[in-house]
Amino acid sequence: MSDVVIRAEALGKRYRISHRRERRGDGSPYDSSPKHEDFWALRDVSFEVKRGEALGIIGRNGAGKSTLLKLLSRITEPTEGSARIRGRVASLLEVGTGFHPELTGRENIYLNGSILGMSRAEIKKKFDEIVAFAEVERFLDTPVKRYSSGMYVRLAFSVAAHLEPEILVVDEVLSVGDVGFQRKCMDYMKRLALSGATIILVSHNLFAVKAMCRRALVLSGGRLQFDGSAADGVEIYQKNSQMEATSWALEVVGRDVSKWPIILTAMEFFDAEGRQRTVYDYGERMRVRIHYELRRPIEFPNFYLSFQRSDSVWCCSFSAARDGATAPLLKESGFIELLTPPLRLVSDLYGAYAAVWDQDFKNLYSAQTGPNFHVRDEILNSDFGVFHEPAEWRWSAS
Amino acid sequence: MQEQSIIPQQAESEHFDILIEAGRGEKNYWRDLWRYRELFYFLAWRDILVRYKQTAIGIAWALVRPFLTMLVFTFIFSRVAKLSAPGSVPYALLVFAAMLPWQFFSTALSEASNSLIGNANLISKIYFPRLIVPAGSVITSFVDFLITLGLMAVMMVWYGFLPDWRLLTLPLFMALAFGAAFGAGLWLCALNVRYRDFRYIVPFIVQFGLYLSPVGFSSNIVPEGLRLIYACNPMVGVIDGFRWALLRGQSPLAAYALIASILGASVLCLSGIWYFRRTEKTFADII
Repeated sequence: MSDVVIRAEALGKRYRISHRRERRGDGSPYDSSPKHEDFWALRDVSFEVKRGEALGIIGRNGAGKSTLLKLLSRITEPTEGSARIRGRVASLLEVGTGFHPELTGRENIYLNGSILGMSRAEIKKKFDEIVAFAEVERFLDTPVKRYSSGMYVRLAFSVAAHLEPEILVVDEVLSVGDVGFQRKCMDYMKRLALSGATIILVSHNLFAVKAMCRRALVLSGGRLQFDGSAADGVEIYQKNSQMEATSWALEVVGRDVSKWPIILTAMEFFDAEGRQRTVYDYGERMRVRIHYELRRPIEFPNFYLSFQRSDSVWCCSFSAARDGATAPLLKESGFIELLTPPLRLVSDLYGAYAAVWDQDFKNLYSAQTGPNFHVRDEILNSDFGVFHEPAEWRWSAS
Repeated sequence: MQEQSIIPQQAESEHFDILIEAGRGEKNYWRDLWRYRELFYFLAWRDILVRYKQTAIGIAWALVRPFLTMLVFTFIFSRVAKLSAPGSVPYALLVFAAMLPWQFFSTALSEASNSLIGNANLISKIYFPRLIVPAGSVITSFVDFLITLGLMAVMMVWYGFLPDWRLLTLPLFMALAFGAAFGAGLWLCALNVRYRDFRYIVPFIVQFGLYLSPVGFSSNIVPEGLRLIYACNPMVGVIDGFRWALLRGQSPLAAYALIASILGASVLCLSGIWYFRRTEKTFADII
């Protein structure tokens, strides 16, 4: 019992969203009184974590993962419930928070270390280790604004990792950086866990969760849906994270999803050779399989797939009808598969959305959210725009 | 992977270090503040480093600004408005002795009031006692102040007007200026998080304050009947105090101005800490 280092009891966090509602047709464009709406980002979440445990937290965007981490790291205060924590907590909710672009790598190590709660003596003692782990020796006296994003991430993680926390809280850090460094980070966290530190890991990368953690919590709509083995958690998450109706489709197609003419039941990602994947390298082709259940026949269905980047930018879309893949009349349930051209998207996390339209995008039959995937590249990130395409270049003497 | 820890447990005592609960005044707050004490230093250090990076004359800017303002004020108030300094004090010294605390107060106030917003990413991603952020800004401005104090010394030598024993009381007035700036800064930065209006209000306060405080002139030109009201501006006592301490007492310091200033600075400081502590838990949610 005394092994418990975190005990959360009925944790809840309410945000108050105020917005002005637009009114149509009654002459006044805006409702003058602002409307408040309560929104529970997290509600009634209880769990315990033991010393030395590695706990994964998984859930869709908006399921309350980040809110939970913010509560545990004392960034924000719960609206109800309580959490008790024993030991020094280091939280890494974003890589490189507190780095100042104008300062050099050396200066930033000290600054960031002290922001994370290390004393100057501690930083001095760990300095060489931090630098060696981050592999930035040659650039120590360069301002970090001139660092590549990979170097930046390595340095930031390295500082945080050397805090020697008793509890390490990590959000989505493993999705950045190159594969070699990701592996290094995972090894480091495993060693930390073996030495008795407790690790709480939030990730979209389900493989990382399975590899790192024995136990996982699944959050859904701000509630704790599952608490048990990581393998089971991942499975449950994969099942229920898929194919929720989008809110705008509820307005257009109908509030009652069971009356929709077609329901997309699952979406699966593979590589060109048919191996299941959720992480792709830039330039790889992606095979997407969309399973559907037909309620009533649809004439000339137009299956539609689009990708949204983690910063909510819509990046690209594919339309079966435009590509000539439609049928006069769809009568049976089944699946449709598409093979994308080589992905030119930059390195980031993407959400997939699928819809079924008619041929001219006039009538919508279904629109649902699919799973997430990552695109990886050493250099190309969202600073490079939405996509990066090779071009033909030619020299000429003037 | 999950091996039983062999570290001996502290018996059965259910001792937790941190309790996270709604509306609970963090009981570890002051202890945490002490634990993070080096962060004051690092944030101030960062601000100073960054402030003068990629500038040609660097830290000299801390001297140029008050020096030029002093020249302009001396010209306008002594030559154009034909005001005179009390006793044998050179007018430039009269102005500069006031410029020192005023410049500190105004930069500290503007920097502190923007400090939380300027560090929004820190606030929303990392826990540390938030008080450190505005305090760091005030400390940064204080460093600039100390540099300008050196310029004052040079000017006093230049004019051959050296201070007497009263100089020893200067730290008291420095503390007063610090307290007033810190207290007002806490109020403004906390309000600024919720109401960005304060981004526009603060420059006004600073601009008006310059004329409402006896920076360009001596406060004994203020009509007798108004002096008590005038002293409600806590910077009046501070500025008069600076002049009194630096200028051999030739510029008078009224007791009521000093008391008003001490009261004002303490009220600002205490209420500032109170308001800041009350609102800081919501900073991450609304910033």
